[in-house]
Amino acid sequence: MLDLLVIGAGLAGLSAAVAAAKAGLNVRVIAKGQGVTHWHAGTLDVLGYLPLTDAPIQAPLAASQTLPPEHPYRLLGETRLRDALAMFSDWLAASKLAYPSSATPDQNLWLPSAVGAVRPTFLAPQAQLAGDVSRPEPMLIVGFHGLRDFYPQWIVENLTKQGYLARAAFLPLNMINELLERNNVQLAEQLEPPSARGRLAAALKKLCQPGERIGLPAILGVNEHLAVWQDLQTEVDAPIFEIPTLPPSVPGIRLYRALQQQLMAAGGRIEMNMEALAFKAEGQQIQWVETATSARPLKHYAKNFLLATGGVLGGGFNSDHTGRFWETIFDLPLTVPQDRNAWFRHQFLHPQGQPVFSGGVLVNDHFQPVEQNGTPVYNNLWAVGGVLAHADPIRERSLEGIAIATGISATQGMIAQTHAGV
Amino acid sequence: MKNLNTEILVIGGGSTGTGVAWDAALRGFQVTLVEKRDLTHGTTGRYHGLLHSGGRYVVKDPRSAVECIHENQILRHTHTQCIEETSGFFVVTPEDEGDFPDKFKAACAACRVPCTEISAQEALRHEPLLNPRISRVFEVPDASADSFLATHLTAQAARQAGAQILVYHEVLDLITEGTEQDRRVLGAKVRDVATGEEFNIYANMTISAAGAWAGQVARMAGCTVNIIPGKGVMVAMNHRVVNTVINRCKMPSDGDIIVPIHTVAVIGTTDERVSDPEKLRIEPWEVQLMLDEGDKLLPGLSKARVLRAWAGVRPLYQEGFKGESRDATRALTLLDHQSRDGIAGFLTITGGKWTTFRLMAETVVDKACEQLGTRKPCATETTPVPGIEQGHYWLGHRLHEVEENRLQGELICECELVTRGMLEQATQRNPTITLDDLRRDIRLGMGPCQGGFCTMRAAGILHENVTLGMQNMKASPDAELVNRKSQIVNPEWDVAYMQSPAHNATADEVAPSAQHSALSTPNLLLRDFLQERWKGLTPVLWGQQLKQARLDELIYLSILNSDHLPDADTISPLTDFYHFDGGTSREAESDHA
Repeated sequence: MLDLLVIGAGLAGLSAAVAAAKAGLNVRVIAKGQGVTHWHAGTLDVLGYLPLTDAPIQAPLAASQTLPPEHPYRLLGETRLRDALAMFSDWLAASKLAYPSSATPDQNLWLPSAVGAVRPTFLAPQAQLAGDVSRPEPMLIVGFHGLRDFYPQWIVENLTKQGYLARAAFLPLNMINELLERNNVQLAEQLEPPSARGRLAAALKKLCQPGERIGLPAILGVNEHLAVWQDLQTEVDAPIFEIPTLPPSVPGIRLYRALQQQLMAAGGRIEMNMEALAFKAEGQQIQWVETATSARPLKHYAKNFLLATGGVLGGGFNSDHTGRFWETIFDLPLTVPQDRNAWFRHQFLHPQGQPVFSGGVLVNDHFQPVEQNGTPVYNNLWAVGGVLAHADPIRERSLEGIAIATGISATQGMIAQTHAGV
Repeated sequence: MKNLNTEILVIGGGSTGTGVAWDAALRGFQVTLVEKRDLTHGTTGRYHGLLHSGGRYVVKDPRSAVECIHENQILRHTHTQCIEETSGFFVVTPEDEGDFPDKFKAACAACRVPCTEISAQEALRHEPLLNPRISRVFEVPDASADSFLATHLTAQAARQAGAQILVYHEVLDLITEGTEQDRRVLGAKVRDVATGEEFNIYANMTISAAGAWAGQVARMAGCTVNIIPGKGVMVAMNHRVVNTVINRCKMPSDGDIIVPIHTVAVIGTTDERVSDPEKLRIEPWEVQLMLDEGDKLLPGLSKARVLRAWAGVRPLYQEGFKGESRDATRALTLLDHQSRDGIAGFLTITGGKWTTFRLMAETVVDKACEQLGTRKPCATETTPVPGIEQGHYWLGHRLHEVEENRLQGELICECELVTRGMLEQATQRNPTITLDDLRRDIRLGMGPCQGGFCTMRAAGILHENVTLGMQNMKASPDAELVNRKSQIVNPEWDVAYMQSPAHNATADEVAPSAQHSALSTPNLLLRDFLQERWKGLTPVLWGQQLKQARLDELIYLSILNSDHLPDADTISPLTDFYHFDGGTSREAESDHA
């Protein structure tokens, strides 16, 4: 019998599963697909802008406690949030994918985006750090002719408008790629052989002037990333940073693989292509969750269940033309209005976001889904990450922070509450 | 102030206006056309894409039916590559009772609309998703038509015949002389929307082809034309659920037609009189009605993924008409303001259908000839537009060319298979002020992701081409440092092969154009196009399409942080174009509070 069945293999589900496995629980992750991790920027955003005012945030941990009391960060409290992020970055370091913390413990980093906006994040992979706009060195942003997701002159024009020193340059794409397709993941794989790295390093060396740092699209290797990035820096003799591109995301895939490795090493398992279709509860106790597989439906029995299916994007919710909006597995109580008229604003980039995306599953401060009156819906069910109500993680730039911290904290709470594993 | 002199001034860049310019130019007139936005920005670019056989109107509006079948046969030869030979079914569902089907059959014969009754079984073999309970099916020569491409090609043919086409030129006023009783229109005062420059265009004859806006133009001449603006809501499904145009065999009503066009299928339409052709809010009940009615033709349709909803305004006109817009005639109307209002030098052509635009042009230019005292015969019936040798459109056309020419790496819009070359050619050869212009040119951003991926790429490419001459890139394919402004090159307008990935495979002979670059910074291009797409999404966002919208948020907020770009709050003179339809939610009011 499993101690814990985690549903969803995004950052929330994997964080929970790794925490559980490292605590000695028998844990399995089932997922329909790979979650949003393969699409996002690969950074760990905790809180970038305040939800109502859109004010930029410098100290996200402190600011997290100024949010409304129902927000997942307020349910966590600053200490649980801080501890979970620290634990998570330790795991990544152990997988040789370092996300170094800044010298000041509660400080957002501001990094250039692929259109030259400056994006706030809390922890960034080592290979993105040199993009920190507070550093003095001028930036050389290098693109490749014909690469459809990266336009260095646009980045430079916007950085310049904001007062940062930057210039643009191009290299031919066939230096790294002869394929018909020009997918970022394929390009990253093409850069892995040492000969390809060498060609790129030589070209960059010619372009780069002393004292500059070099920004490139985030395609510096997938599995061999660390070697590719380090070799380039050494040979060019300049700081090199990656700028995340449109999905699919190479930094996101690296992050997923590092977590997968941590989970395997701790004895956990991930099973993909398993969409949860049904469940059975007796009283307040969930007995099993059933998934579709090619041959037959499969029942997953477990002592505890953790819902980490994500928000609208991850697949945690579905909706229809009548205005019905529901949680896809347990049909849990939601805060979302059952009226399409109340879901949207007329402006796409409205600073307060689209109301439909801040709705979700109501939980108590143990992250157990609750009814409107506060009583848990099931005794052995927890919900974490994008399914949670009272946050719009993409709008606030809190996507990874909420996923990781609620995933880890809920699991720790569950272990303490049920004494399941230890 | 620069002034222009011309023989015929055409107001309106939709199908009718470009048709008039084409017709008049072929007859040897000197012609200038002005359009306040982009070609097809009005009703032409907002219809469902049906080339009418006339079947829809044989019972209710036979004059319009006769016009439709006449033009249907001509346009297949003059605008071949804009038309897909889908054929059309009129199906009798269990709700369509009574003697209408027999009346329909007789009326088709009377109007000479070819009509063959086929068995329901055979129809279901062609269209397996059709309601299996249909009892009778009539096949008619309906087809689907790309009104964007057709209008561009008509404009291209007009230019080749010497016409001057000025887009983003707004008519501020008509220039008139004379007294109340004896007035003459001498031309128009116009404003170049991009530069703000104002000038006069003097003409011997001014023809208003302004569609739903014709009342406003007539007012400038000092007369009243009461257009009946009939709003029609259309809903595009993400899949091409049928390959044949499907009509309910009953009196024309709401949601009784499904048109397969390009990769989607469009359900249409409602018909509601509105007060202003620019206030096109789509109400949830209208979308619901389309889906409910669609279910009667294709059971389960309302559960399928919906791509987008939009509304257009029919420029209906019927002298002295007071009823519902659904009951107003679809036949064309020529208003001779000299005999009607005592205003010389001014004609209005309105009513009609997209299908009858050529006939509308012929009718009004005949009248212009008469009033100008010349006899020049119409030539459009036998003169094809450029590029018809490509043959009829077929669904796999772009994919075939992309695969044959190994252009996969060039795709910047994977949904609609738009290559970088197509984008660059369209930019160079058509005046491009917004990314929405490119949508109308090459279908950029019209697919399932509604601009999620291609908006960033298109804005980046336009900026790159303006900043760095492509010729420079070609001259030194190695690393190129950027600090040069490219030369402004007068673009050659050539749209015959605009839709062809293969034809645009080598785009590097075209020099980059910096026109209007001051107006269109990439940041504004991006913001405005995302907003334009959002406007048509909100009425239909649920299920998979809601998920898609959230992915677009992940891209534009989280990854790109494009809501915090410099100039984000800048208002461009074009920004309001994307807000004129108003919101679809109650937020519209409270956001201003």
